[in-house]
Amino acid sequence: MMKKDIHNSRLVREAANAYLQAQTRRHFIKESAMGLGALALGALVGCGSRSSQNPVVFDAAHPLEPKMPMFPGKAKSVIYLHMAGAPSQLELFDYKPELMKLDGQDCPQSLLAGKRFAFIRGVPKMLGPQANFRQRGESGLWISDRLPHLANIADEITLLKAVTTDQFNHAPAQLLMHTGSPRLGRPSMGSWVTYGLGTQNQNLPGFVVLTSGGKNPDAGKSVWGSGFLPSVYQGVQCRSEGDPVLFINDPAGMDRDLRKASIDAINDVNQQAYEDYKDPEILSRIAQYEMAYKMQVSVPEVMDISDEPQYIHDMYGSKPGNGSFANNILLARKLVEKGVRFVQLFDWGWDSHGTSAGDAVDIGLVNKCRQVDKSITALILDLRQRGLLEETLVVWGGEFGRTPMQENRGGKTMPFKGRDHHTEAFTMWMAGGGIKKGYSYGETDEIGYSAVSGKTTPFDIQATILNQLGFNHEQFTYQYQGRPFRLTDVAGTVISDIIA
Amino acid sequence: MNRLRHKNTFLVIALLAAGTVAFTWLTRQQKIDYNSNVKPILNKNCITCHGGVRRKAGFSLLFRSEAMANTESGKPAIIPGDPDHSEMIRRLTLKDPEERMPYRHEALSSHDISILRNWIKQGAPWGDHWAYTAVQPEPVPPLKQLTGFFSTGNGLVVRNEIDNFILDKLRDHDLRPSPEAGKAALLRRVSFDLIGMPAPGWLQHPFINDSSNTAYERLVDSLFASPHYGEKWAAMWLDLARYADTKGYERDDARTIWRYRDWLIKAFNENKPYNQFLTEQLAGDLLPNPTEDQLIATAFHRNTMTNDEGGTDNEEFRTAAVLDRVNTTWEALMGTTFACVQCHSHPYDPFTHEEYYKFMAFFNNTRDEDSYADYPLLRSFSDSAKMEKKLLTEWLTVHATPERTKEIDQFLADWQPSVNSLACDQFINSELSDTKWAAFRNNGLCRLKNTDLSGASEIIYRYRTNENGGVLQFHADSPDGPVLATLPIDPVKEGWGISRGTMVPLQGRHNLFLTYRNAKLKKQDDTGVTFDWFYFTRPFPGEGQPGYAAAAKRYWDLLTMKTPVTPIMVENPANMQRLSHVFERGNWLVKGEVVTPGTPHALNPMPPGAPRNRLGLAQWMTSTQNPLTARTFVNRVWEQLFGTGLVETVEDFGTQGIPPTPRELLNYLSWQFMHTDNWDIKKLLKKIVLSATYRQDSRASDELLKKDDANKFYARGPRVRLSAEALRDQALCITGMLSEKMYGPSVMPEQPEGIWRSPYDGARWVTSRGPDKYRRALYTYWKRTAPYPAMMTFDGVAREVCTPRRIRTNTPLQALAGLNDEANLDMARQMAERLVAAMPGDANDQIKLVYERATGHVVPAAAMHTLLKLYERAQRQFSASDAAACQLSGSVRDRKTMAEIASLVVVINTVLNLDEVVTKE
Repeated sequence: MMKKDIHNSRLVREAANAYLQAQTRRHFIKESAMGLGALALGALVGCGSRSSQNPVVFDAAHPLEPKMPMFPGKAKSVIYLHMAGAPSQLELFDYKPELMKLDGQDCPQSLLAGKRFAFIRGVPKMLGPQANFRQRGESGLWISDRLPHLANIADEITLLKAVTTDQFNHAPAQLLMHTGSPRLGRPSMGSWVTYGLGTQNQNLPGFVVLTSGGKNPDAGKSVWGSGFLPSVYQGVQCRSEGDPVLFINDPAGMDRDLRKASIDAINDVNQQAYEDYKDPEILSRIAQYEMAYKMQVSVPEVMDISDEPQYIHDMYGSKPGNGSFANNILLARKLVEKGVRFVQLFDWGWDSHGTSAGDAVDIGLVNKCRQVDKSITALILDLRQRGLLEETLVVWGGEFGRTPMQENRGGKTMPFKGRDHHTEAFTMWMAGGGIKKGYSYGETDEIGYSAVSGKTTPFDIQATILNQLGFNHEQFTYQYQGRPFRLTDVAGTVISDIIA
Repeated sequence: MNRLRHKNTFLVIALLAAGTVAFTWLTRQQKIDYNSNVKPILNKNCITCHGGVRRKAGFSLLFRSEAMANTESGKPAIIPGDPDHSEMIRRLTLKDPEERMPYRHEALSSHDISILRNWIKQGAPWGDHWAYTAVQPEPVPPLKQLTGFFSTGNGLVVRNEIDNFILDKLRDHDLRPSPEAGKAALLRRVSFDLIGMPAPGWLQHPFINDSSNTAYERLVDSLFASPHYGEKWAAMWLDLARYADTKGYERDDARTIWRYRDWLIKAFNENKPYNQFLTEQLAGDLLPNPTEDQLIATAFHRNTMTNDEGGTDNEEFRTAAVLDRVNTTWEALMGTTFACVQCHSHPYDPFTHEEYYKFMAFFNNTRDEDSYADYPLLRSFSDSAKMEKKLLTEWLTVHATPERTKEIDQFLADWQPSVNSLACDQFINSELSDTKWAAFRNNGLCRLKNTDLSGASEIIYRYRTNENGGVLQFHADSPDGPVLATLPIDPVKEGWGISRGTMVPLQGRHNLFLTYRNAKLKKQDDTGVTFDWFYFTRPFPGEGQPGYAAAAKRYWDLLTMKTPVTPIMVENPANMQRLSHVFERGNWLVKGEVVTPGTPHALNPMPPGAPRNRLGLAQWMTSTQNPLTARTFVNRVWEQLFGTGLVETVEDFGTQGIPPTPRELLNYLSWQFMHTDNWDIKKLLKKIVLSATYRQDSRASDELLKKDDANKFYARGPRVRLSAEALRDQALCITGMLSEKMYGPSVMPEQPEGIWRSPYDGARWVTSRGPDKYRRALYTYWKRTAPYPAMMTFDGVAREVCTPRRIRTNTPLQALAGLNDEANLDMARQMAERLVAAMPGDANDQIKLVYERATGHVVPAAAMHTLLKLYERAQRQFSASDAAACQLSGSVRDRKTMAEIASLVVVINTVLNLDEVVTKE
C-alpha cells in the first residue's frame, strides 16, 4: 500500500510539473497576446480545478510535450502484445472438458442458426481441445501445456475469458480492438495515449510499434495510425531490419561528427532566419533538428539488444540480429524503461484455420506458442524484478477467438485441424499496471461457444487501459467532424472487477 | 511563478474591461443579435441537453419552432416578449440547485442572463447561422475611412477589393499592413501556390529583371498557363477525393483509378468552371450523352474503399461506401460535418436524422456492390477499337432502334447493367467463393432472387473454369421450375471468359434458380465453375439485314476485348432501384422508414425542375442559392495560399466551427466567384494573388506577434512549411532531377525497404526506373495501408477517407526524413556530380549556386560563411578517407573528385533542410 502511494504521488508530481512547464512556457505568451478570448478563459479554468473536464489540448508547436493525465493512473506505460490472426482460446486458456466429449460429432443446429462464419459452411464437426490443461499456481488458473512458461507465473496475471467482438474478419476486428471502430480512419489507442500524455523521453518516440512474423497485421499501419488526430501521434514503427526507425541512420560515408556539423550549420542558418523573420516556428524547427540528432543516438542504442547480458538473452530467448518476437519483447522492456508510453507488438501467424500444417491448431499453433511463451514470461518476470511491473500494463490477446467447431472451409473436410474465426468468446489477459494478480474474470458456456458471465468487449478493454493510465474514457475526447470523438466511441465500461 | 501571477493580473484587468464593455452595451439596450449574442450562450450551456440528440423535458433549442413550442409541462419555456413569465428565465435564476438550470452545472452569469432576458423581451427573434443563408452581395468597405488612420503609415497599398476588407479589419485592431515582399520571395511564394513548386528558370529571370508595374501579373499569367498548375491543384484535391491506388481494407489490392487523377489535372488546367467541375464528378454519368472524360470524373466517388477480405458482408461495405460518399460530399464540398447526423439529429446544426438518409438516397442507387473487380468499370478502348465501335454504332443507327443502340453502347462501355453473381444466395453444393463470386460443384444450386427479366431471351455471362462438360441451367421460380436456359459451360483458356446462350423469354420479376451439373468432375469437392456476372438481354439486333454478320462479330469482339478500366458511377436502371431507409441510430441493419432523395430543409430548396438524382443534387449544390458550395471552395483556396482558411475549420462551417475572419471578405469573394466570375477558379486565384494582402512580406515584428501571433488579420504575408508534395517537387527542381512527364499509372520512387509487407498477396514495391523515379509527388503510388513514408512524415494522409484539412506538425522525424531519406540523397548526389563537372574546384560558386537555386536569392554572407565552413570540414574529412568519400558520392572516381562531390552532397543535403527552403515565406 505504502509503496503504491509513493509511486502514485511520484507520478502525479511528475505530470504536474510537466504540465506546469508547458503552461508557463507557451500558453502564457500565446494567450495574453491574443487578448481575452473564450479560449484563454477555458484553458485557465481547465488548469487544475476542472482537470476532469478534458484538459488535453493540442499545441501544434509542441505536440509531444509531457501532459498530465486526468487523474493519477496506476500505469505509466503499456506494452500491448497482439497475436495477429487470433490465437485459439480453446487450446490455451479456456478449458472445456465437455467439448472433448463432443469431439467429432456434428455441430448442433442451435449453434449455427442465424450465425455467420468466415469460412464454415453447412454443418461442421465439433473439435475437442487439442492441448492438455492444468490448474496453475495458487490462483488455480487453467493454462494449457502449450504455454509452460506462462503457466509458472499464472499468479501474476488476470485472465479475461469472456471477451467478445462483433467483427469476424481480421482487418475490421483488429481495427475495432485498436481504434474503437471496425472501419479505417480512427486514431489507434497508442495515438490517443500519446495525444493525452505526450512523451516522457523526448529522445524517443512516444508510441513505438514492433512487428514480427514476417508480415504486418491485416489492417496494415492503420492499427497504429493517428486517424483524425494530428499525424505526430501515429505509432513509430521500429524495425529489426534496415533502419530501426525510418530515416534514422545517416547515409553511408557521413559520420556522426559530420552529421553534427551539418545539423549545426542548418541550425546556424535557421537562427539567422529567425532573427530576420521572428517566426517562432523556426525556433521549434531548430529544436527538432537537435532532437533528431539525439534520437539518432538514443534510438539505435535502445534498439540494440546486444549489450544486454547473456542471462537476459537466455531468459527471453532473444538473439541479437534477428527480427524475432523474443527480440521485440526485450526491446519493449527497454523502451518502457526509457520512458516510452505505449509499445505495441504485433506477431503475425496465429490464424489457425487448418488449411495446412502451418496453421493447424495441433501443429502450427504449437510452434507459435513456443515462439512467444518464454519471452512473454521473461518480460513479466523482468519487469517485476526491475520494479516496473506495477507501473507497466501488459496486455495480451488477438482480435477475436476461434470456434469450438472444426473448420470445414466451403463445406469440405479439411486436411488439418483448424478452427474458424469466432466472435462470441475469446480470452485475453492483462498483467501489472494495477491489475489483479492470479485472477480470472468471465466464463463461457461448457463448450466455450458463448460468454455467459463477465462478458467484455474491445471497448471495455480500451476503457480499462485508459483508466489505468489515468483517463476517463468518456471524457477523453478530440473534436472532429463537429463532435467530440473518443476511443471508445459511445460504449465501454471500465472492468473494475479486475483492478487491484 | 512570476509569469503566472502576471498572467492573473492581466486576466483581472481584462475581465474588468470586458465587464465595462458589456455594461455599456447593455445600458444602451441595443438590438440583441441572436447569432452573435444569444446562440453562443445556448450552445455552450443548454444545447447538450436541450438539442438535437436529447430534448430533456421536451424542450429543444435547435429550431425556433421547437424552442417556442409547448414542453412536457404543457407550456412553452420561452414566451416571446415576456421574459418574466418565461420558464426558461425562471429556471436560470432559481436558488434550489435541483431546480436551477443548467442542471448540476454552474449558474449562468448575470450578464448572460440579462442577454437572454433582453432577447426574449425583444421577441426572441431567431437568426439563421451565417453559413446557411445564401451569399448576398457584400459592399466593399470604402477606403476613405482609412486615410486618416494610415496617413502616416508607409506600405499602404490597395491593389484590389480584398485589401479594402483586410485594411478595414486591420484598422479595427490597430494593426498596419506589411510592405510588399521582395521579388525573390514573392516569386517563390506565388510559384508554390500556383504550380506547387519553384518556377522554372525561364520564368524566374524575366520577372526578376523586369521592373515594370506589370511584371508580377505577367508572371502570374505565365504560371497559370503552365501545365504544372493543374498538377498542383489536383494534388490538393486528391486528399478530398481520398484518392489511392489500392482498395483499402486488408489485402489492400491494387485499383486502377489514375485516369481520375489525370482528369483532375486536365480539369484544372483547362480551367473548368467549378460548378461544372463538381457536376461532372458527382453526376457526369447522368449528363446527356456523357463523354468518356465525364464518366471518368465520376470516379471521384469511386475512391471509396472496397473490402476483399473473405467472409465480409458485401452489402455492409457497399453501405459503408455510400455513407462515405455522403460524408465526403458534405465535408469536402460543403464545409459541413454531416457524419454525426448518421446516428441522430445534429446536436448543434439544423440537420435532422431523417435528412441524412434522404440525402443518402441520392447516392444509394449506383450499380457498385463492393465487388472484387470494383464494378462498374469504364472500359477504355484503344483508338482502333474506338473506330470499330464507331462503325458498329453507325450500323446500329440504321438497323436497330435507338433504345437498343443505346443499350448496346452502354453494355460495351461498362458491361452494365449486369447482375453480379455476388447477389446469389441459398447455396447448396455451391458457395459464394471468397464472398465475391458464385461457385458451383457438381449438382450445385443457388438462387438469384427477384430478377427482372423483361422478356430477355439471351444471357451473357462472365465466368472462369478449366473443366469440360459442365452445364448450367436457369429455372424459373423454384429449383425444379421450368428450365429457361441450358448453357454448356466451356473451359476458359486463361482467366475469365465471356459467353452467351439463349433463354425462354419471361416477363416480370422472378426468383431464378441456377443448377450446375458436371459428371466429369472427379471429386465431390471440386469446383466446376465460378461466375462473375450475368446480363439478361436480347440477341444482337438486325438479323437478316445487310452487314449483320460483320456487325455482330464486331459487337462480340468489342464486348470481350481486354481493355484498361476505371471504376465509375453508373446509376441503377429503373428495374434495379434500391429502396432507401433511415438507419435507426445509424445502424445499417436496423432499417427504419423508407425515404426518397431530398436536401435538408435548412438550406436552399432544390432548383425548379431538378431531377431527384445525383444530377439534381449537383444542380442544387451549384445553385447560386446554395450557401455552402462557393464559400467552402473559396475558403479552401484561401487556406492553400495562406496556410489557414478564412474559416479555420475548413471542414466545418457550422455553429461549432470557427467563425470566419473577416466574414465579409469570404462572402464578397464567394459572391464574385459565383455571380461575376461564373465559377472561374483561375480568376478567383488571380484576384487573391494580385492583392496587396497576399503580396506582403512575411516578416513578423515583436509588436505583430504580440497583437496577432497567428496572423489572423493578415498584417503580414503567409509563412508556412511546404506540404509533403511540395517538398518532394522542390527537391526535384532544385537538384535538376524533375521529370516533367505528366499523367499515366502511378510510379514508385525510392522508398526504404520493408514498408509494404502486405498480408497474402505479396505485393511489392518495385522502384521505378529512369525518369519515372523522378516524377512529381502526386504521381507516387499510394497504398492505403502502407503509404509512402516520407510523405506521411510530413503530414500526408493515408486517404482512407476524405481529409478536408491537413494539420501541420513539426517533429524530429521530419528532420530525420529531410536529412536521411535516400530519395533526397540520391538527388543531391546527381546534382553534386553535375556541378563538380561543370565548375570543378570552385566550391564557392558551387555553394552559391545551390543556395540560389534552393531559395531564389543570393546567399547572405553569414549563411555563406556557415556553409563554406561545413564544406571545408567535409572536404578535409573526405580527402582523408576515400571509403567515406566513395560511399557518400556514390561512385568511384579519382580521390579529389570524389571528395569534392561528397562534400557538395553534404552541403546540398544541408541546404535542402534549411527552414527557409522547407518553408514558403
